[in-house]
Amino acid sequence: MREISPPLSIEVADVTVAYANGIVALRDASFKLGPGVICALVGVNGSGKSTLFKAIMGFIRPVKGSVRIAGKSVEQARRGKRIAYVPQSEEVDWTFPVNVWDVVMMGRYGHMNFMRLPSATDKRIVAESLDRVGMSDFKERQIGELSGGQKKRVFLARALAQRGSIMLLDEPFTGVDVTTEETIISLLRALRDDGHIILVSTHNLGSVPEFCDHVVLVNRTVLAAGPTDDVFTEKNLTLAFGGVLRQFHFEQSTIQEHDGRTVKLLTDDERPLVFGKDGHLEYKDREGREKLVKEREKEAGK
Amino acid sequence: MTDLLTPFHYDYMLKAILVSGLIGGVCAFLSCFITLKGWSLMGDALSHAVVPGVSLAWLVGLPFSVGAFVAGILAALSMGWVKRHTRLREDAVIGVIFTSWFALGLLLLSLYPSNLNLRTIIFGNILAISDPDILQVLIISGISILVLTLKWRDLLLYCFDESHARSLGMNTSFLHFLLLSLLAATAVAALQTVGACLVVAMLVTPGATAYLLTDRFGKMLIIATITGLLCGVLGAYGSYFLNGSTGGCIVVLQTLVFLVVLFLAPKHGLLAARRQRRIAAMS
Ligand SMILES: Nc1ncnc2c1ncn2[C@@H]1O[C@H](COP(=O)(O)OP(=O)(O)O)[C@@H](O)[C@H]1O
Ligand SMILES: [Mg+2]
Repeated sequence: MREISPPLSIEVADVTVAYANGIVALRDASFKLGPGVICALVGVNGSGKSTLFKAIMGFIRPVKGSVRIAGKSVEQARRGKRIAYVPQSEEVDWTFPVNVWDVVMMGRYGHMNFMRLPSATDKRIVAESLDRVGMSDFKERQIGELSGGQKKRVFLARALAQRGSIMLLDEPFTGVDVTTEETIISLLRALRDDGHIILVSTHNLGSVPEFCDHVVLVNRTVLAAGPTDDVFTEKNLTLAFGGVLRQFHFEQSTIQEHDGRTVKLLTDDERPLVFGKDGHLEYKDREGREKLVKEREKEAGK
Repeated sequence: MTDLLTPFHYDYMLKAILVSGLIGGVCAFLSCFITLKGWSLMGDALSHAVVPGVSLAWLVGLPFSVGAFVAGILAALSMGWVKRHTRLREDAVIGVIFTSWFALGLLLLSLYPSNLNLRTIIFGNILAISDPDILQVLIISGISILVLTLKWRDLLLYCFDESHARSLGMNTSFLHFLLLSLLAATAVAALQTVGACLVVAMLVTPGATAYLLTDRFGKMLIIATITGLLCGVLGAYGSYFLNGSTGGCIVVLQTLVFLVVLFLAPKHGLLAARRQRRIAAMS
């Protein structure tokens, strides 16, 4: 049933966004995405990820530059119901008297008549979407009574029910359990294989190379954009994160007998917990832990 | 037995009961949106800000509700404008703008006395409501009910998740203005029943009561509307026997219902919460 129109694409060209308080959240941001891609939007808190999403959705008008979707303006794309947006958890009122089914049904509003009375098709699609995220058993639950991961899945189901071809997910992995993360990732892969464009903002650096084909690094502007292998380099990440990134240099750590090659562990929001041989807890630096290092050496020697 | 029927022998009581029930129901329907959108304070403010409109409408010979409605909308728009262009918090803006409109109303009414005197506007006087005024109430209520039954799902989505509504291509500015207009219109209609001081109770209490009783918005609408309607009818009816203020009776009744629900609601009531804590502590 897909429309025969110009191929799907997102084109962000020289976009500058300023808020009413004078803060320029983004300056001259540019990148381009074609169909069938999962793209990660990576940057520190306050780097302008949500702002970029809002500019793509047309919620805020850039003071300069333009966003084109499949060659058309954002307003036209919205009217064509092509873009689904999964908000950051903080933006939702969880005490609202709506249950899981109601929320997912909201994804269908754009396809309904003037009074928004759901048809049999709408109900079928909602049930299907809930099933795909594994939330069918929770459809009667009030949304505030769900775990962090379940909440995310409900909003993902709403985006699925919308049947758009572009999906924007703002920090879908924050406060989410591993099962949910895996569910989300496999769903996004399936959508990509159907030709959708998926844009995910995330802190979760480790998962980016796992499932993202493209990366856009942001810090008040687009620092780098392109295929993951080209963009997701240590140099670029250091540029994007500066001192915020937590590093674990194996050769400086309490780990013994590393193989001489330099291995480095990078993480954004959490310190890594590292266990060495025999399940020993390992520390980031040796300084002040000379005794521990000696003990380990003895163990290794024996 | 026949005593209980006496209020119905008086034309004025019959009118008061029916109009109170109608307005109670319409305000209650809207109260579900107002409480969830966080506009309770706005409802209070709007009901005071309509006063200069009453006076000006009288001066130029328009029905009072037209003037009141326009004044309410202008006050709300000026508030929105000030809020957008300053760093003041919303409650401060509401405080400044709406009290100025109310003060302007007081001034105008004292300079140019109109058909509705200040007492009626502030405390309401449903027992003396004139037929043309009843007609105005009927028209406002009819339009409000029609719009709400047709568009409640859109308004719900707007209150719950404005971004999503926009991403679907809905006109959220229009929905915002629609909700604001409905609020102003019902505040005007409720003015004569309970008076400017108590309008906010009609626009908040039934919604708050229903919110404690259900987790589904559809049910909340039904529960609130029935509560509002019954409290309107019974409050007006009871005021005959108490020989007290009609508005006072209606709102006190609403508050009593709210209190009962606050304690006894099966899931969100205070006693239920306590019971659940005890069960959790025992297991
Ligand atoms: N509504 C707003 N008004 C003013 N400034 C804002 C607003 N939203 C975000 N900002 C500012 O814009 C910058 C980028 O924010 P945001 O896009 O939310 O970052 P991120 O999503 O990457 O954490 C921040 O400095 C933030 O303070
Ligand atoms: Mg953000």
